[in-house]
Amino acid sequence: MKKLICLLLALTMVLGATTIVTAAEADEKIQLTLGNYPPDTDEAMIAAFDVYIENFSKKRPDVEVVPAHYFYALDTIVPMAEAGTLPVIIEPWYTEPQKLIEAGYVRSITELLKERGWDEMINPSIRDLLSKDGEIYGIPRDAYALGMHVNVDLFEQAGLVDENGVPMYPKTWDELVTVGTQIKDATGSAALCLLAQDNAGGWHWSNIAWGFGATLSVDNGDGTFTANLDSPEAIDAMEYIRDLKWEHDLLTADPLTENWGTGFTQVAVGNAAMYIGANDALNQTTVVNGLPLEDFALIPVPAGPGGQYSLNGGTVYMFAANATDEQVDAALDFMISMGRAPEVGAELIEGMGADAKSRMENGEPVVKRFPAWVGQAYSDAEAAIIAPFLNVDMALYQDYFDKVAEAGNLRLEEQGLTQEMYAELTKVMQEVLTNENADIPALMKTADTNYQKLLDDAGIGQ
Amino acid sequence: MPVSQKKNINRAISGWLIMLPTLILFAFYVWEPLLKIIQMSLYNAQGFTLTEFVGLDNYKSLLANPDFTIAWKNTFMYTFWSLIIGFCVPILLALLITETPVFRSLTRVAVYFPNILPGLAVMLIWLFFFKPGNAGVLNNILATVGIKPLTWLSAKGWTIPLIVVTMTWRSAGSTALIYMAGISGINPEQVEAATIDGAGIIRRIFSVILPSLTGLVKVMLILQIISVFQILYEPLMMTNGGPNNASISIMMLVYNYAFLHFDFPKAAAVSVMICIVLSLFTALYFVVSGRRGKE
Repeated sequence: MKKLICLLLALTMVLGATTIVTAAEADEKIQLTLGNYPPDTDEAMIAAFDVYIENFSKKRPDVEVVPAHYFYALDTIVPMAEAGTLPVIIEPWYTEPQKLIEAGYVRSITELLKERGWDEMINPSIRDLLSKDGEIYGIPRDAYALGMHVNVDLFEQAGLVDENGVPMYPKTWDELVTVGTQIKDATGSAALCLLAQDNAGGWHWSNIAWGFGATLSVDNGDGTFTANLDSPEAIDAMEYIRDLKWEHDLLTADPLTENWGTGFTQVAVGNAAMYIGANDALNQTTVVNGLPLEDFALIPVPAGPGGQYSLNGGTVYMFAANATDEQVDAALDFMISMGRAPEVGAELIEGMGADAKSRMENGEPVVKRFPAWVGQAYSDAEAAIIAPFLNVDMALYQDYFDKVAEAGNLRLEEQGLTQEMYAELTKVMQEVLTNENADIPALMKTADTNYQKLLDDAGIGQ
Repeated sequence: MPVSQKKNINRAISGWLIMLPTLILFAFYVWEPLLKIIQMSLYNAQGFTLTEFVGLDNYKSLLANPDFTIAWKNTFMYTFWSLIIGFCVPILLALLITETPVFRSLTRVAVYFPNILPGLAVMLIWLFFFKPGNAGVLNNILATVGIKPLTWLSAKGWTIPLIVVTMTWRSAGSTALIYMAGISGINPEQVEAATIDGAGIIRRIFSVILPSLTGLVKVMLILQIISVFQILYEPLMMTNGGPNNASISIMMLVYNYAFLHFDFPKAAAVSVMICIVLSLFTALYFVVSGRRGKE
């Protein structure tokens, strides 16, 4: 009996030891928590992620991938970052990187990028967005350039489509008044959905102002900036939107209730014919708000007397401050599996293919993405990969892609305290759009003074 | 030691022991954060980690913020309008319900009902009402009598009063319940005596009920001022502080500093200022009510 008990005890110990060893082995695996994993409701994208994870796990069996969907939000990022519970990969929107870097909630990945040579391959405009003091803190997910989302059906009702059904859209801001008036008369819908509820108003307006020749924040080249919101060109651009509202009545009922999200809805439901929107949000008008693909077009931002520009920015991936080098390295490998890395190879091609297939199955326009990574090989590979999944008439998009490819067309956001500047501009827009007799030069002067004070207070004013 | 003194000490110990859990909770949830916020307002910080003592610099730089003065002014306007629009409504509701002999329970539930709705849902419902153009509920109603659509929340002078109306709609019911409890605490013999002496309903209200509620009204007044002073999500949701800062509140400034800019020291500095102002209000209340008591 004693022997039996001894044997049982010995067996238990061996089993226990084995379990401990197995657990230890499991513990040794690098944990890669994916904040960019899609939400439960996005089945098509989850299927695509299954492919990514399967491919990745073959290459990196030492890594355990943990789906940890995290929707970036202002009220959750702070407690999670402070408590050290952020997933390794997070996907903040474009306004956030500098704040996250400043607060110490994300980590530098410069050395890891240099080892791979990726630091030189990031689209420079996005690299600036992700850098501070020479350190790079993230990689691009997508780049975008502002254009205009168009409801083709409204153009058609106003007789403004050519024989191929392509809208005869306004090439200049002056033409927008003519075309918009025709649309308004024929359909009763607004020509343009202009935003004025929050900082996105100032963001979109700055693209209009560039067309009038304005530069809103002068870079002095020594790390300081000077406010320039009250230049004659900026005043002209503000007067233009005043006229759109009060003289021509071409805007939606109340721009002060319009924000980034409602703009897509207004175009999709036919309340507005045009809305300043980018190529990375095509799904918003089509999938989210239900505009059929054949009724949707993407056109360039109209030109003004000062030229034609498209605001260029990007959406990004960043990495939690407490992520280890091994975890970030695994995350960068995972980007290859997702087709979001600059290294053109079989895995990247498969990842890009899965992404394009998922977008097609989702019913969103599959057109080429804006280059977040530089390099012809990458662009060529992408063009070839998405070709079988193209689901739209490219004539409805071609002018946009041609225009943003022109030299000098792309323009980065104004530098300095960009969000604060947008806030000041949005206030002026709100006054102009609610008060027909608003004194625009005086308002712009006040905005300029306020913005300069903020720059001075931050120690970057001059 | 005399027995009575010993007894007193024992009673004091047991008293402190009874209070201890509350004191610990207070210290942890109220006093410690309060002291931390005061400390943070005097430092620079990276996230929540304090980095450098800067004295009153954060307070000074608040003055450079173009929204600072208007946010304070608006906050006082919210308080003013909430007293004009919202202060008497719960008293009226309480009087109407207690003086109405029929359907009292049903009415009580009905006036309290908006209070059980989540605050954000209430704001969204009201946004449908205030929607501009032909899509808004109120504009549709006006259209039936031939009035052109109004811009409601985007009309500068109306923004704060309209927001206060929505707040009153939501919270008047719960305040009315407190007044109802106060009214039910009035000696019924007093009311009956007044009735027998020939006092009608109006006379009863002004000569018996309202004087008996004076203490409660004062408490509710100070509570309402403190509560409205901290208004945040109503303007945040409904107007985002617009048009042109017409509805930005001082708490929105705290929110903007903390969550839009992650600048917690400046958010702390504004919070400390709010705390001081509210403490002054409370002190004023005690002084005034103390004087009245002596009179």
